[in-house]
Amino acid sequence: MKESLYSKGYRSIKKQLYHVRNYLAVFLVFVGGLQGYAQTQISGVVKEENGDFLPGVNILEKGTLNGAISDIDGSYSITVGESAVLIFSFIGYGSKEIVVGNQSEINVELSPDMTSLSEVIVVGYGEQRKETLTGSVANVSGDDLVKSPAANVTSSLAGRLPGLTVNQRSGEPGRDDPNILIRGSGTFGNNSPLIIIDGVPRSQIGRLNPEDIESISVLKDASAAIYGARAANGVILVTTKAGQKGKPVFNFTINQSFLQPTKILDMLDASEFAQVYNEGAWYRAGRPETNWTPPFSQEAIQRYADGSDPVRYPNTDWVKEAVKPYSTQQRINLSARGGSDDVNYFLSFGTVSQNGNLVNDPTEYRQYNMRVNVNVNLTENLTVGANLSALLNNQNFGSVATDEESWVNFKNIYQANPTLIAQYPNGLYGPGRLGENPLLMDQRGYFNRESSPMFSSFTASYQVPFLEGLKIDASYNYDINNQVQRRWRTPYFFHEFNTVTEEYERRQGTGVSAPELSQTNTKWTTKLYNIRLNYSRTIDKHYFAALLGTEQQENYENWVHAFRRNFVSSAIDQIDAGSSDTNDMNTGGSTRISGYNNYFGRLNYDYDGKYLLEFLFRYDGSQKFPKESRYGFFPGVSAGWRLSEEPFMADLDFVNQLKIRGSYGKIGNDFVAAYQHLQAFTFGNNYYFGGNVSPGVNPGVLPNRNITWETSEKVDIGLEGVLWQGGLGFEFVVFNEQRSDILARRNVSVSNVYGYPGLPDENIGRVRNRGFELILNRKRSLGEFNYNIAGNVAFARSEIQFMDEVPNDIADKNLTGRPVGAGLYYQADGIFNTQEELDSYPHISNAQVGDVRIVDRNNDGQINGDDQFRFNYTATPEYVFGLNFDLAYKNFDLNLFFQGQTNVYNYDERYPDLGTAAFDNATVERATDRWTVDNPNGTKPRADGVEPGANTMWLFDATFVRLKNVEFGYSLPDHLISRIGFSDARFYVSGSNVLTWSKEIKWADPEASGGFLYYPQLRTMNVGLNVKF
Amino acid sequence: MKKSIIYLFILAVLAGCSDDILDVQPQDRVSEEAVWGDENLIRAYHTSLYNGVLHGFKIHMLSKATDEAFNAINFDIGIIPTGALRADNVTSLSDTHWTGGGGLYYWNTGYQYIRRINIFLEKMADPTIVVSEKEKLVAEAKFLRAYIHFLLLERFGGVPIVTESYELGADQSFSRNSIDECFEFIETELNEAIPDLEKRYAASDANFGRATQDAAQALLSRALLYAASPLFNESGDQGKWQRAADAAEVLLNAGYSLHEDYTTLFNQPTGTANNEMIFVRPFSSSPGGFHSAPMDNLNRRYGAYGGWWASNGPSQNLVDDYDMINGEPVFIYPNGVKTINPASGYDPQNPYVNRDPRFDATVIYDGATYRGDKFEMWVAPDGESWGFDSYRQSGDNPRSNYVLRKFMPDEGTPLSWQQPYTNPWIIFRLGEIYLNYAEAKFELGDEETCREYLSKIRARVNMPPIPSTVTGEELRQRLYNERRIELAFEEHRYWDVRRWKIAETVENQPIFGMDIIRNPSTGEKTYSRIQLLSRIFEEKMYWLPIEQNEILRNQGIQQNPGYE
Repeated sequence: MKESLYSKGYRSIKKQLYHVRNYLAVFLVFVGGLQGYAQTQISGVVKEENGDFLPGVNILEKGTLNGAISDIDGSYSITVGESAVLIFSFIGYGSKEIVVGNQSEINVELSPDMTSLSEVIVVGYGEQRKETLTGSVANVSGDDLVKSPAANVTSSLAGRLPGLTVNQRSGEPGRDDPNILIRGSGTFGNNSPLIIIDGVPRSQIGRLNPEDIESISVLKDASAAIYGARAANGVILVTTKAGQKGKPVFNFTINQSFLQPTKILDMLDASEFAQVYNEGAWYRAGRPETNWTPPFSQEAIQRYADGSDPVRYPNTDWVKEAVKPYSTQQRINLSARGGSDDVNYFLSFGTVSQNGNLVNDPTEYRQYNMRVNVNVNLTENLTVGANLSALLNNQNFGSVATDEESWVNFKNIYQANPTLIAQYPNGLYGPGRLGENPLLMDQRGYFNRESSPMFSSFTASYQVPFLEGLKIDASYNYDINNQVQRRWRTPYFFHEFNTVTEEYERRQGTGVSAPELSQTNTKWTTKLYNIRLNYSRTIDKHYFAALLGTEQQENYENWVHAFRRNFVSSAIDQIDAGSSDTNDMNTGGSTRISGYNNYFGRLNYDYDGKYLLEFLFRYDGSQKFPKESRYGFFPGVSAGWRLSEEPFMADLDFVNQLKIRGSYGKIGNDFVAAYQHLQAFTFGNNYYFGGNVSPGVNPGVLPNRNITWETSEKVDIGLEGVLWQGGLGFEFVVFNEQRSDILARRNVSVSNVYGYPGLPDENIGRVRNRGFELILNRKRSLGEFNYNIAGNVAFARSEIQFMDEVPNDIADKNLTGRPVGAGLYYQADGIFNTQEELDSYPHISNAQVGDVRIVDRNNDGQINGDDQFRFNYTATPEYVFGLNFDLAYKNFDLNLFFQGQTNVYNYDERYPDLGTAAFDNATVERATDRWTVDNPNGTKPRADGVEPGANTMWLFDATFVRLKNVEFGYSLPDHLISRIGFSDARFYVSGSNVLTWSKEIKWADPEASGGFLYYPQLRTMNVGLNVKF
Repeated sequence: MKKSIIYLFILAVLAGCSDDILDVQPQDRVSEEAVWGDENLIRAYHTSLYNGVLHGFKIHMLSKATDEAFNAINFDIGIIPTGALRADNVTSLSDTHWTGGGGLYYWNTGYQYIRRINIFLEKMADPTIVVSEKEKLVAEAKFLRAYIHFLLLERFGGVPIVTESYELGADQSFSRNSIDECFEFIETELNEAIPDLEKRYAASDANFGRATQDAAQALLSRALLYAASPLFNESGDQGKWQRAADAAEVLLNAGYSLHEDYTTLFNQPTGTANNEMIFVRPFSSSPGGFHSAPMDNLNRRYGAYGGWWASNGPSQNLVDDYDMINGEPVFIYPNGVKTINPASGYDPQNPYVNRDPRFDATVIYDGATYRGDKFEMWVAPDGESWGFDSYRQSGDNPRSNYVLRKFMPDEGTPLSWQQPYTNPWIIFRLGEIYLNYAEAKFELGDEETCREYLSKIRARVNMPPIPSTVTGEELRQRLYNERRIELAFEEHRYWDVRRWKIAETVENQPIFGMDIIRNPSTGEKTYSRIQLLSRIFEEKMYWLPIEQNEILRNQGIQQNPGYE
């Protein structure tokens, strides 16, 4: 079987390469002809004003991505095209542009210049220079993201953006979107940040082609106020690449990756399982001394162990049977970027294909990304542009589990009883756990989701000629997404050995008895347009900028669902082929429309680049709320003082940049269900008098006529600077966020005797969220050795100040004062090792020796709900950190990126299961040192243990440090590649989730949330090639 | 020129801005005004009230909380047999839990439906709302309100009687009414409803499943029987038995008769003619309208789940209580010791022959034939072979070595997870009324009538009548046992052992299964009882606790004793 796997992998690589060839051919034809420039070799030396050599200077051919870096002695060489212009730049120095003409040696002197520290950062509806930025905005460039071979871009963000918590809870191809939080959890409602891609709230950020991304910014403080009512959880702004003036640069990348789970659980083998199950059965029966037949006899346990009868007494390692040693993933990208004075363009095409990690499983993921971004200067003052992208994506899974249930697959692997056979020695497949043998998944149909979102933005920018500094920008965006989701289930069969007849009986599996198809077609559209007036002016030392805009957004969603069963055959998987009996079909469908209307603006003022002021606002309207409370005003102010510009700092040469800044803003959150102010009824809750359908109607939640925005007030103070020309860069930010009017339901305080059909959200909660972020970096060159180290740590802790609580409850159980998401647990204190211990301490009535000892916290002599307490940590880490090393020596480069988290706990509700159900296997970790009659000093509870509820015995510290990414590259020397017309060629090997050090959770991946039954995170090992020409 | 075009364009765009786009009506729901203004929607609202009626075809059938089945799990409904029931875990028995929780923790759903009914009744009091047969709809709603209060009463004892709907933000202090007040309320409601209800719908009628006069009378019979029982009748008021007898008597000659076949009584689709059923929860084969009881409860042979976690396998305790075909109980209890009744002819090494035919109709056992398949639950002494239905073959074959047969379809109905099963959940049937009557009469000292009605029940399956020599306590035991056998798995046992106040004895007995060892060469089988579960029943468990948090938010509501 192994062989077939490998050959399958080989075939798919070959197939992939064939595709690559085709794509290349098409692309080359498409852009051919544009090539054909003469090449000249330039060399020289770069010095400082005082004559010192300057190593590490960036030399770039203007309008291209062609570049070089100066050596320890300041020398460089670069091959450039005709009529090239070279740009020399180095952090802390003024850059210089030099026309090459017919020179072949160019020596340059650079002088220190503070303004050249300038890095442009994307903010809401604009860009700002980093040094005059007054808000808390984290940012990462696309170049850093492409270093990760992970298929999902968002998972590469972990640790890269200080203040962003990224937790990937599943590695399943196509279902691997991580949870993203900005500065932890500020509300117990929806904590999702607003994601804006190229100016429009858009989904599928994880599916972007990383090669298309220019930068990602995260607005963490009042700077998000310009996005008003949806921005309280922070805003992630993704900007894709645009054209660049210059000859076309083609960039081709191919990556081949091999993936395997980061951690595979070690489950009990058959004899251990049988032993543990026997113990459980014996405890259940009341530990009878006589007249007891264990479910598995001693001989049976022996036979499981010795493997003498693999048919009757198999010992199945389900993980080994069902999980492939590795799976594969390919990514191929080709892009072209260039432009003239009037037109510039960025064109890109990318593809990802990834197959699943399970044997005989239809899981497969395919994605194609296309992007065209063109800007045209129509007249001297008018520029128009279009940014069109499409994402074709095809997710295929086994038919058994829906998105929410994908853990089921792992229940049938991890928890499958090892005494059940997976495959008989003669090759026939056994039933597996409850007839759900994972090796039969390929016989059971599929669950397929195909979506083809198209994102379009059309922009116009008009420089008003008669008023200097006034610009009008407008954009119209239309996104459309069609998704077809199909669940096709087919009957499947397995064999079961009959010990009496000694025959292998063919049996139908538990799934469907005849094929059935369930199909849902959904269409979404988003129309968004805005118009913005921009004005900026510098008068003497006063700089003014103003932005005023209006924006409207309209969303539409429509879905239709069709279902038929009892297909005559599985040959045709189309609705029409199903049975036309009315009892065999079902349909459904509905429409949702939503809209936003708003006005926003920003005013900037700075004096001499020293004193910085900013005011921004949004007046936002949402159809989710009643007319009276529909609009909200969300302002933000911020200020900065650049100490480094002051004369008194002039003597401190080593200080290149130093800034204190602060901000305050009020932002809204409306991520709740719409129309909660109306009492409405939905169809459903039918009844069946006489066996026929009588339609019913169901009351929706009670109306809350006063529902309105949740608001967040954010205060943020930061200190940032650059010392020793980049020898040390730092940024330290503290923040305090106050959420109020949090939309929550009074579910726990309102008596059920009222019988309300469901309570609406009300603006009742308050949460305070505080924390800090620290970023340090160091950039240096030692001869041909360059390095850049950047580290960041972010801390955020929320505290519920008011939440709907069970009235009159004991204080320890209250949410107030605890972080958002804090769970309720009993406190465990070891186990009852002896009968005396059990007898002398309060316990639940069915507790036995060997059970968890629960602390009687209120000392009332009994264990019940009053002994619970609210735990101070959650599965959302309080500390997240990242540490990045970029090292380069000659043509070699190495990137190491570590990422981790602490102050985080995970409650594993699956872990305690041991010997209770005949078909739930347990981990070796759990069974080791369990209490038994023969091991009375055991530290872990007995098999079939009982507990009053979730307790700290199974709450584990999820602290970890990961080597998240590593990349080692080698660039071919210029003289080799220039001959074949390449400007750059680089080979690299890389990996993600390469190594993990976990503090306590050593049996599973520590990034889990909840039980271990889920598709594990994947380790990716990758080889790649990048060519520019 | 160019410029002016651009300005025009900008103006046009600006003019397009308006907040009209925020005035969007929801497309996926109906407004409240629409509902009460449209007769069809009013009827739809009324129809949905019936979903307050529970049925037992859930993943966790209530039998798992009784000595009818061996329930191997220690969570969810397993907290009852293991005695772990507390006020902070009782919600795992909620009827809205995915397992159905045996429908035990019905507090929340019950009051939700009571509120819906109250709203309906308040709206119908408005004379401007015109609906045809308004009185009948109102009467049906009143029946449902009474029934729901009864469901709450049997679970919790006296509960708050709620007859009006409250708006959000209402500040009502609820307190528990007494048991007597609750019974009185139920009786009054039913008596008010009866005149406006339809007398009866035949089982094949399109309206079957609606509340009728007979359904109301049957509820009255059960409620008054419970009211007279020791748990509810602490003062031992004999007059209550008389009222129970009277209520049952009304239905004895109301045109119903015992269905001739004890098997097909339970496993025919909704709509099949049947003269025994009085009130049922109907099902339909349309999507969402059916249940999966056969797949939930049969065993691995059919790819079914044995009651999920194999936890609805009938217990040896139940099997032991089926009489021999000669009418004699298998076991007698001289001085409380379980001893084989020599008169019964029971052979412990051939235990399944000559038993009450209801045994075959309720339980699949080793050697039984169901749908033409011979079930085999044995294991060979050397462990080299085992019957296909033994626990050694699969964890979904119940360890007790018995599988539920009652409700399970006969040949002709496919067995699969896709098959829509629509046999109705019987709530009231004539058989129960006979037993109610027999019990009330017994308690009133009319032993002859008691024996007569027990014998009528037994006659359906050709069991000999209860001889007139059986009297007093012995007759009480036969009466109790008849109810256990006749109504097995129909959600009676749980309530009966409580209202008789015998649960402290019965529910503290361990659950047994049967080990069957078969010698493969001789084919000879040996049977031995095996203790599978030690059970704990504490006195407090006569009532369910109210969820701890519900007590905290209702200072006026007292927790049931023992759960504080």
